[in-house]
Amino acid sequence: MEYVIETNDLTKVYGSGKEAVTAVDHENMRIKRGSISGILGPNGAGKTTLVMMLTGLILPTSGTAKVLGHDIVKESLQIRKKVGLLPEGFGFYDHLTAKQNLDYIAALNDIPKEERDKRVGEILKAVGSDGFKDRKVGGFSRGMKQRLAIAQTLIKDPELLIFDEPTAGVDPEGAKAFKDMVSKLNKEQGKTIVVCTHLLFEMGPLCTDVAIMNQGRFVVQGNVEEIAERMMAEEGYRIEVEARGDVGAFVAKLKRLKEIISLEVKDDVISIKTMSDVRAEINKRAAKIKGLEVLSIRRLEPSLEDLFMKYYQKEIGVVAHG
Amino acid sequence: MADVFVVASKEFSDIVRSKRFIVLVAIFGLIMTAAMVTVYVSIVQTMPTAPGGPPMPQRFLGTVAYMLISTMPLFGAVMGVALGCDTISGEREKGTLKIVLAQPVFRDTVINGKFLAATLAVSIAVFITSLANVGASIMILGVTPTGEEALRLALFMVFSVLFAMTYYGIAVFLSTVSKKTSQSVILGVTVWAVFTFVIPIIATLVAFTIAPPIIRPPSPGEPMEMDIESIRRYTAIVETISSITPNHHFSKVGQYLLNPYATTGGPFPPQPAQEAASVTSSLIYAGPNILVLTIVTTLAFIASYMVFTRQEVR
Repeated sequence: MEYVIETNDLTKVYGSGKEAVTAVDHENMRIKRGSISGILGPNGAGKTTLVMMLTGLILPTSGTAKVLGHDIVKESLQIRKKVGLLPEGFGFYDHLTAKQNLDYIAALNDIPKEERDKRVGEILKAVGSDGFKDRKVGGFSRGMKQRLAIAQTLIKDPELLIFDEPTAGVDPEGAKAFKDMVSKLNKEQGKTIVVCTHLLFEMGPLCTDVAIMNQGRFVVQGNVEEIAERMMAEEGYRIEVEARGDVGAFVAKLKRLKEIISLEVKDDVISIKTMSDVRAEINKRAAKIKGLEVLSIRRLEPSLEDLFMKYYQKEIGVVAHG
Repeated sequence: MADVFVVASKEFSDIVRSKRFIVLVAIFGLIMTAAMVTVYVSIVQTMPTAPGGPPMPQRFLGTVAYMLISTMPLFGAVMGVALGCDTISGEREKGTLKIVLAQPVFRDTVINGKFLAATLAVSIAVFITSLANVGASIMILGVTPTGEEALRLALFMVFSVLFAMTYYGIAVFLSTVSKKTSQSVILGVTVWAVFTFVIPIIATLVAFTIAPPIIRPPSPGEPMEMDIESIRRYTAIVETISSITPNHHFSKVGQYLLNPYATTGGPFPPQPAQEAASVTSSLIYAGPNILVLTIVTTLAFIASYMVFTRQEVR
């Protein structure tokens, strides 16, 4: 497995003595190439500090990390050549046009003048900002600035894109446009994307991998499906069976299964919670009942919200539902 | 790696198109011009019927150039503070610093680029305002600088840029350590006010307390008597205390360069030298002051550089 980000006991402490605040606490993280990874957590969880350390804008207190194979302390310049960062609370030069702002960013990336014009034009078009390229940024809406912010990350054709709270303060339409763009960049151009956000419900579904962060530590991290599998193994699997016919006999047979934790019947839908995935066994028992027609057997996957509820709220001591 | 000229060219363009730069250059250009008009009007009003017409100044230096010596310290300091006070804090507040530093650019490239751009912009500003003075002098008073005077004026302009950059360096440092531009502006103005008004007043008070000049009131039929030694001590204390300000050193440079009859000191009251000093001699007299201005500017720049390169961007 190739990782674009690897951290080892990465730690950042602000201040010293009694005033010391540990923003990132001995973090070990792996981000796979080609993934859309979400670093999820509430405000103050340490997400921004982590991102700033990864791009060399903040030095770690201890620990090491590599981004695209480069050490974050010794080779941060190499990292910034290959990583497009959309920082939280970004801004542009209001007195310059969108095109002039991007041209400056392109120049800072050593893109030759003749290539800059072409690339700036293409990228502004790609992010849907072509129509207002010659307008001064000072008059832009939040959504327009956000598009320009995405454009500035793409100007260097980066291998890795890091977006820190990209949809904070953006209207739903802008947020949707952002998600579509991220998805497109990942699928069509194979970009690895890291999204840091506290807006779990908005950005979470986009992610193939997640890391839930709280108080400077990752509560859980990994592939969404793998984490879901782990959660199901820990808390039980939810299986929903829709059947017609002699449902009573079927329920009786199901209740004899030793893996069953709970079973509820409502109309023709049987909701089962089991210790393992027993769908094959359910099918087998259903086949033995005459006149029973099984319409569907579904395993209910926990959503990202469920994962967050379990791992984050458990961490902070809140009793999660379900 | 981005070139320092990429940052410098963008910054230079921003400065010279900014309202504050244009307004400052316009105001001081007008002051320089208006001053010549005032000189002309006062001469004409004082001696309107002098034979051969009102007596206009004959030399550029020592007369017309006085306006430069008195106005340039204000202009240089205001320009330096105005340009430097939001250099880093402004970018931090607007969020542009994060975007810039997220690119493959060294922080010293950013600060060097800004410094280079400011030097160029200040040079243009000094050139324009000095030109306003010289132009008005030629057109209104009919006083044209000679070749040597033009050379002295050019050197004065160079050191005016150095002086403005001293204040710019201080303002950049304040902007680097301040979280907000409003804070760095207040600090910058405070530093300027302390150097320009407070320290000279303190210097006078201290000198007057420690070594008051002894001036005996005149007896009937006799002139007023001054104790030269006491005045010399008094002046020495004032100058020593004032020497902690860049203004003092720039003022000295201006006097040496634009008044070739200025001496390096000697018995008080200073007697004009019998012969005008050569340009080289004037530069030698002004050498220590130029050195101080250079050192202060360099130190301010190094301090800004050290703080900025170690600063965490959040």
